[in-house]
Amino acid sequence: MKKNYKKYEEKARYLRRKVLEMCVKAGTGHVTSSFSCVEILVALYYGGILKYNPKNPKWEKRDRFILSKGQASPILYVILADLGFFPISACDKFCCADGMFGVHLQNDVPGVEITTGSLGHGLGIGAGMAYIAKEEKKDWFVFVLLGDGELYEGSVWESALFVSHHKLNNLVAIVDRNWLCVTDFTENIVKLEPIEEKWESYGWETKRIDGHNFEEIFDALKGVKERQTEKPLVIVANTIKGKGVSFMENKILWHGIAPKGKEAEKAIKELK
Amino acid sequence: MKNEFKNKTMRDSFFDRLYELAKEDKNLYLISADMGAPSLDKFRKDLKKQFINVGIAEENMVLVATGLSLCGKKAYIYAIMPFVTSRCYEMLKVDLSLMNIPVTAIGVGAGFGYDDSGPTHHCTEDITIMRVLPNFHIFSPSDSFMAYKFAEITYKLKSPSYIRLDRKILPQLYNEKNDFSDGLSILKEGKDFYIIGTGNMTHRAIEVSEELEKYRINAGVIDLYRIKPINEKLLTKTVKNAKGIITIEEHLLAGGMGSAVIEVLVDNGINLPVKRFGVKDKYLYAYGGRENIQKICGLDKNSVVKGILEWSKKI
Repeated sequence: MKKNYKKYEEKARYLRRKVLEMCVKAGTGHVTSSFSCVEILVALYYGGILKYNPKNPKWEKRDRFILSKGQASPILYVILADLGFFPISACDKFCCADGMFGVHLQNDVPGVEITTGSLGHGLGIGAGMAYIAKEEKKDWFVFVLLGDGELYEGSVWESALFVSHHKLNNLVAIVDRNWLCVTDFTENIVKLEPIEEKWESYGWETKRIDGHNFEEIFDALKGVKERQTEKPLVIVANTIKGKGVSFMENKILWHGIAPKGKEAEKAIKELK
Repeated sequence: MKNEFKNKTMRDSFFDRLYELAKEDKNLYLISADMGAPSLDKFRKDLKKQFINVGIAEENMVLVATGLSLCGKKAYIYAIMPFVTSRCYEMLKVDLSLMNIPVTAIGVGAGFGYDDSGPTHHCTEDITIMRVLPNFHIFSPSDSFMAYKFAEITYKLKSPSYIRLDRKILPQLYNEKNDFSDGLSILKEGKDFYIIGTGNMTHRAIEVSEELEKYRINAGVIDLYRIKPINEKLLTKTVKNAKGIITIEEHLLAGGMGSAVIEVLVDNGINLPVKRFGVKDKYLYAYGGRENIQKICGLDKNSVVKGILEWSKKI
């Protein structure tokens, strides 16, 4: 029987709206990069996958979630506020002089593990954390969300080798495969496909899913902490950059900007 | 005093102390980018769990160290100097400097230490690029005892640090009486000038000062072993009554130690003539030993003395 994911879908819709409102108000922010990974983050944070404690963000037993594609900070900030890591009012001051945070992710915000914005850092830092968790037999996990364009960074592959060599199966990487970079589609810039084969040759187990389909996301994440294989897992999630706002979806020119004026009104309307 | 450091490289002295510290503290990790050292063999053997070889992957080395540090570990990373600085510079900036992560980067081969290896292995820009990174401490030892003590000092730091070790054994200058908390040491008081050296060039400064005596020039010698933060108070207090300052570094002049000294003087309103000796805006395919390369750069004793004599006539 098909499970009902309505509450997650509603949450995703609400979060997209909050992200949009926040970025429209600030006149900046990576809306489309945030929208491609909303369902993935909803599943992780609201679907019982990640262990966390908003009252104690540095809780030792928490799972470490690393948003390596730091430009998607708006969606993570909105989620952390929604979960009570800090007041939701902080989102109204996105990029403001008296605000808590700006366009890219910063580690002094409660619930954020590391500063990102420059790509190619998250997997290696997550690897260091997973290495210690493994050594010390801790039961917390490391989840790293990477952008697909981030896979161009050589450091990602240095880290990928390290993770599989040390059998860090307590680390799960998720690639937000939205097919778009800043100026063009990835396959026009420099081909990334076949992505799974690349990770597999580096010693990883791979899964490919629809990153907007909760059934597929939960299926991929099910039992992720009880896997018997020593191989680390990477989930390549096919997504649509700008998902949720028809005229922003899969469009090159919407990278890193927030809609203005009538376009903003139209976008907000689509998410109501 | 015991001369256990007399015939020991800085690297071995540093790692010997690190080994002792790591034996006491299981949270101390050493990460190597496929670099070895005789003194590392026992670390690798006895403290297997605290040693990680990431392979020739310096960017990942910084990243893994950051992850370790965020889990409460004290991590040291180790490679030849160009590879632990410029090669992974953006990681040092974003992960260590920006997030103020107390990882210590150990580089070996300051200046032309890898003389026969050519400019890919020379390191003559590290001071410039590392000293602009906020939160970083930079240590530039001038003997093996100092390198040994720097293992302790960096172990206690709550911010990132970088230590530039000379590859060669340098004459011993210090002993247990020195705790290196001042950031610089006045090896000789001077009436006319002060010559400031760092690392191996501290020894050149001593030689030059001795030579200048023949010309009735009394030049003091300062060993600037902590390049960041500079002890501005002690430095300015020491040199303010001199007639001029000379800096010597086996490093590019642009932004190097001499530049750092000038910044301190200017910021403190000390208007003194300064003569800098260093490498002039070039990389060198030069061989025939380190001294030969120094000669080409005008960093040998005679060139420096000559340069000071000419300069002193003009000021």
